[in-house]
Amino acid sequence: MNEFVSAGLIGVSLGAQYALLALGFTLIFGILGVVNFAHGGFYVVGGYAAYGFGAHFGLPYVAAVALAMLVTGAIGYLFELFLLERVVEDELATLMLTLGLYLVMSTGVLVGFGPESPQFQFPVSGTLRLGPFHLPLENLVVLAVCLTAIVAVYLLLYRSDFGRALRALADDRQIASAQGLRPRLLFPLAFAVAAGLAGLTGALVTPILSLAPHVGDPVLVTSFLIVILGGLGSITGSTVAAFLVGLVEAYSSVYLGGSAGALALFVVVLIVLVVRPSGLFGRDVRGA
Amino acid sequence: MPGSTRHGITRHGDAVASVAVLVLALAVPFATSDPFVYSVANQIMVAIPAALSVHVMLRMDLLTFAVPAFMAIGGYAAAIAGLNGVSDSFVLTALSFGVPALVAVPLGVLVLRLRGVYFVLVTFVMTEIMELLLFETPALTGGSNGLVGMPPTTVLGIELADNRAVLLLAVAVAMAAVVVTALVTGHYRRSFAAIEENETLAASLGLVVWRRKVVGFVVAAGLAGMAGFSLVNMLLTAHPTSFGSASAVTYIAYAVVGGRGWLLGAIAGSALLVSMSNLFSNQGQYAPGLFGLLIIVVVLVARGGVAGTLADAAARLRRPATPAGNTAATKFAAAAPLAGGRP
Repeated sequence: MNEFVSAGLIGVSLGAQYALLALGFTLIFGILGVVNFAHGGFYVVGGYAAYGFGAHFGLPYVAAVALAMLVTGAIGYLFELFLLERVVEDELATLMLTLGLYLVMSTGVLVGFGPESPQFQFPVSGTLRLGPFHLPLENLVVLAVCLTAIVAVYLLLYRSDFGRALRALADDRQIASAQGLRPRLLFPLAFAVAAGLAGLTGALVTPILSLAPHVGDPVLVTSFLIVILGGLGSITGSTVAAFLVGLVEAYSSVYLGGSAGALALFVVVLIVLVVRPSGLFGRDVRGA
Repeated sequence: MPGSTRHGITRHGDAVASVAVLVLALAVPFATSDPFVYSVANQIMVAIPAALSVHVMLRMDLLTFAVPAFMAIGGYAAAIAGLNGVSDSFVLTALSFGVPALVAVPLGVLVLRLRGVYFVLVTFVMTEIMELLLFETPALTGGSNGLVGMPPTTVLGIELADNRAVLLLAVAVAMAAVVVTALVTGHYRRSFAAIEENETLAASLGLVVWRRKVVGFVVAAGLAGMAGFSLVNMLLTAHPTSFGSASAVTYIAYAVVGGRGWLLGAIAGSALLVSMSNLFSNQGQYAPGLFGLLIIVVVLVARGGVAGTLADAAARLRRPATPAGNTAATKFAAAAPLAGGRP
């Protein structure tokens, strides 16, 4: 029973991390129509930035995480403004550009910090005892921060003018532009928000999981899986799917072991894609 | 629309030039015995069928990430046959084309309903599943150990054991891939173009779109399988890590950077990017970043890819009077007054 509950908590906190990652990924796809292959790169840069600000400048962890989010957001802003914006209508070109950015970013990290995993520890440790259950504190902290961030993103998208403008542009770029919304101003900001979310997740999670230059690859794969399950461009769908994937991953690693759980998950996703391409919560998306 | 104008270079010319380039490549093993050149040339010959696989799918406006999955099927099929006493190169090449092509028939019927980003994602997931399957079926694929110890392949009973012979075989396989691609894309040229331009319109005009798409998908799978055979033959081992989903993007980069819509583009892109990444590897840890920068620059500066940009430049040299006269509309506008002055 104890095992079941703690696996459940790990699943939920994994789900919260995945939700943050997938939110950024699906935001970029939903609004710009761009499949962002650099998403895992922002996660890695976020992790290393937080580590660097802490280890080299002696900043407290909370400040380092906030700065990491700002740094990744700024990279995303500049990338969208100066490079991606020129080819944003061309699916292939945007794919190649984000791929190029990913390679450049992971090389930057490798050159700057070396290939070995640095000593990057989460500042909170220990477990919370609730009756018979042991809950690791670090997971609880990450869960709380992620949930707060998810709520913040929801408020930003559904309760602010910025969010309304972005959703209008996602619905119909031409009409929204005719109404006076300026994609050239808003798209870089949207990209910055998405990159910042990936950076925040990286800064929060890498001290618990692991930090190395290549940890972005599985992040991209997981983001893919979640947005397929939830429906491309659907914010609610990807949040729900993120928790599903987190729970499945946690339980299958406890009860099945090895890569059998991952294999099962992939097959489920494949079936979902073929049977119901718009995902569990999706609506029809452009170009499909 | 990319692919609608060909700048005076015909499809036929593209195919002939592509085969000619590979005939010239046959001379490489005899011109030098530098192991570095052999290694780079061999990698290029592995890359060409893989890039052609991407090319065939792009001709139908489908972006595929499934190339490594089918490479794995072709490579492992050849490796398993090799371990069971089949050593004839023709048989192995045919197997490496045929087995993935057969697997692609039912898969294609299933997934070709999808378009755009959904097709990208489903092929990406297929490659992920394939890599996991290779690890999970050790009885057949050797699991995480992979398959090793294949005997050298043979041609008419002669063993192809040294580096030169292995490279020659790789060139021959790449040439076969070019010929297959040229025949298929030439034969289905109009169908593929119609699907690329407007699939719904093509279907409403009576084209059985899904059947053409399955043909394209099956051929693309076979081409990828040939690349897998060359790769396994070069490395002397079949291992799951050779077929990871990350490599799918590099094959796409070869086709796109070289110039989508051109057979020569797939060849030029493979040659350029493989050589550059080998050159960059002198720079050690900077190599992937330089590769990434190169891709960014080509995408931003040379939108038609290497082949498209060169063809544009050639067309401009030939007709200096009409620098922007490549679109059908301006050609029509220029021709209309001469054709009798009708509005």
